[in-house]
Amino acid sequence: MKAGPLQLGVAPPANRGIAILDFFLRLIAIVGTLASAIAMATTNQTLPFFSQFIRFRAKFNDLPSFTFFVVASSIVSAYLILSLGFSILHIAKSNLVNSRVLLLLLDTAAMGLLMAGSAAATAIVQLAHKGNNKVNWFAICQQYNSFCKRVSGSLIGSYAGVVVLILLILLSGLALSRR
Amino acid sequence: MEGETSAVNIVETPKERKGKAPLLAAPPGGSSSSKAVPVVVKPAATKGGYRRGLAVFDVVLRIAGVATALGAAIAMGSTDQTLPFFTQFFQFKASYDDLPAFTFFLIANAITASYLVLTIPISIVCILRPNATKPRVILMFFDTVMVALTTSAAGGAASIVYLAHNGNSDANWPAICQQFNDFCQKISGAVVASFLSVVILMALVVLSAFSL
Repeated sequence: MKAGPLQLGVAPPANRGIAILDFFLRLIAIVGTLASAIAMATTNQTLPFFSQFIRFRAKFNDLPSFTFFVVASSIVSAYLILSLGFSILHIAKSNLVNSRVLLLLLDTAAMGLLMAGSAAATAIVQLAHKGNNKVNWFAICQQYNSFCKRVSGSLIGSYAGVVVLILLILLSGLALSRR
Repeated sequence: MEGETSAVNIVETPKERKGKAPLLAAPPGGSSSSKAVPVVVKPAATKGGYRRGLAVFDVVLRIAGVATALGAAIAMGSTDQTLPFFTQFFQFKASYDDLPAFTFFLIANAITASYLVLTIPISIVCILRPNATKPRVILMFFDTVMVALTTSAAGGAASIVYLAHNGNSDANWPAICQQFNDFCQKISGAVVASFLSVVILMALVVLSAFSL
């Protein structure tokens, strides 16, 4: 505590608990987003027959939405790894306001980016599973089974990352309101 | 303890800074380990000034957000284009409920618009009581959830709109925009409006963070 004409109240010890929880949630989010980016980026299925005119190989960069998803997931997981430093700083010094606000802003932006990527990939996965008769888009999952399974599974990790990011934003808000 | 003056040792708590609790004086010669210094406590009234301004801006942004989310929902919901020719085998009518992503988009934007309308009173309460933190934290949490919902709707619809404009030769999906011009314009405009409401919602979260 500072001595002087104005003695400020010490941040409640609950803020340190919030900071520790924040750190662990970030670790979980890193695992989720990184796993989903890697799972999507390593998709490569070739069907065992071929013809002169039609391609029978499916990769993530055949569909721009999947490319966007991989890029967004990678950016968010890199951001989360870098923000671990901030998180550790908040565990050590629970009184900081400006860095908590900055972390909150960046977390919001990261959540938006990750959600946009996940939603774009989800829309394409839904089309790939069901197709759409009315616009004559046929369901490619019926042929590319393993590609589809991998792509659908990688979405789980990124949605978990979104949920964790929302919790992180809430935690930062709670910590800011308790000073 | 020696050397201690008879000044009152006041430790200011957050509640006192916000002007809520009466000042408490520790007993003289108390167990506090800090020096006894005369304390001047700054009143919390000056801090409310900028918070009130931010809260007013918050209400304005909410009203703007209602407009954009409602606009997006209406633009998507009023899509219904029928091409002036037909054959036995192909469909020549396009409407939002042909694609589940667009149906989800419509519902999500309607939810966002009604959420923003319902939280305008809470926001007005924040103007009247600029130093209250609980409504701010609640608003911030729900705004964040709404950012996620609206972004998911906008992102999903955006990827379908991209497909509609460009098609995908690897999956043999034709670009339907070349035929359904009016439909495409409406859905593209709806996606743009929805992304605008995402930006507004993010600005609301940022505002809440600054006024906490």
